[in-house]
Amino acid sequence: MFPGPTLLSAASAIVETALNQALEFDPAGRKALLAALTAPVQFDLTAPMALTLTLTQGAKGVLVGSQPATQPGLVMAGPAMAFYAMASGDTGAIKDGRLSVRGDTALAHQFQRAIAQLSPDWEAAMARHLGDVPAHFLAKRLRNGVKWSRAARHSMASNLEEYLHEETGALPGRRELEATFQDIDALSLRVERLAARVEFLPQNQPASRLPSHPSEPSEPSEKQENL
Amino acid sequence: MSDQQTPASTATSGSQHDDVTHFGFRDVPKSQKAGQVAEVFHSVAGKYDLMNDLMSMGVHRLWKRFTIELSGVRPGHQVLDIAGGTGDLTMKFSDLVGPSGKVVLADINASMLKVGRSRLADRGYAGNIEYVQADAEHLPFPDNSFNAVSIAFGLRNVTDKDQALRDMARVLKPGGKLMVLEFSKPSNPLLSKAYDTYSFTALPFMGKLIAGDSESYKYLAESIRMHPDQDTLKGMMETAGFANCKYHNMTGGIVALHVGIKP
Repeated sequence: MFPGPTLLSAASAIVETALNQALEFDPAGRKALLAALTAPVQFDLTAPMALTLTLTQGAKGVLVGSQPATQPGLVMAGPAMAFYAMASGDTGAIKDGRLSVRGDTALAHQFQRAIAQLSPDWEAAMARHLGDVPAHFLAKRLRNGVKWSRAARHSMASNLEEYLHEETGALPGRRELEATFQDIDALSLRVERLAARVEFLPQNQPASRLPSHPSEPSEPSEKQENL
Repeated sequence: MSDQQTPASTATSGSQHDDVTHFGFRDVPKSQKAGQVAEVFHSVAGKYDLMNDLMSMGVHRLWKRFTIELSGVRPGHQVLDIAGGTGDLTMKFSDLVGPSGKVVLADINASMLKVGRSRLADRGYAGNIEYVQADAEHLPFPDNSFNAVSIAFGLRNVTDKDQALRDMARVLKPGGKLMVLEFSKPSNPLLSKAYDTYSFTALPFMGKLIAGDSESYKYLAESIRMHPDQDTLKGMMETAGFANCKYHNMTGGIVALHVGIKP
């Protein structure tokens, strides 16, 4: 069956080497990740191909395996893109169900935080091979490039939002929408209260003969106020 | 019990005669095989790792990695690495069992053991590793001693494989796992033909070039052909008392990892 054990071992070996090398350049992140790996963490990739990877705390770093763990503390399953989103800092990957989680959810959140906090010092990695000055030169340009692309993406999203809301009027404005939602919430609350009060009214009995209920406000003026 | 001869072992002995076994394609008296195998490994010990990397193009590391993954070894475990040679598996096991566990590197060949011990010491492995010169057929350990036993590329050199498997079962704790990593039979006929050509031409040539010994590598190729195939070895493990026996073919069946549990 493809991929066979040899290819799986090769894949896990590559991931293990890359991960541990990256962690070498972020000692604090490495410490946090190893602290989060109190039990084996298993990732079941469902797309684009079925693949299992496990992370275990090893004596010299993180061990990556290609076989299901015997007693995993946490199993996360989902498509590769959802795992990529989580690694990129998208905290909604678990909340919105793109990733399913079994096992210790506290461990899941601790692990997600540890991943989000990872910030390897790529400049130091480059400096090992290129020297300090060229590495700093390159890293500075790369940082600027990343910063510019983030700003450009944010700016484009803002412009598009403004165009749709303000220029074309195709969509309601954010504040207008929030006010409407608040009104709907308030109305919903009032309707619920009214329904609760109506349930107290005995069927086919005049309102004047209503028995007094200590927990129920019986003043009509108060009812109206609440409504 | 050691005199009991199973059908599987009879079929794989390569000889109808009880006192004769195979050494490569040759039949030799059983009493001489261990000595002849020892000569082979005395000869290649110094270049063993280099030759392994060259012959397998580095893939032997992936086969061993998969073995480690399936071992399920955890901190505190006791592990026996039979025919451990230069200590590839022992190093990984040592990392996994941690300071509270123990790994025993056993090999019948003093030269291989010496190379393994030097290599591990050079890499800073100490404290949880013991070195024992031992015959796989007569393991010098009490019953129920180990959580896992491994033998990588060693079983085919053992004279009485059935006896060795029985002794491995003896030293394993109930629930312990045996892992046998060994050359096997490729499942694809085309791959098998290409593999035969490679084994009988390139291997002895590389052996002569690198280790200065083509005969030892000719023996290697021949001994692989005489080793039981996947299903036969699985049957031998079951006969030796292992349960849940299964095997994983790797690289098209050139190598297979057999796993069995002591009930």
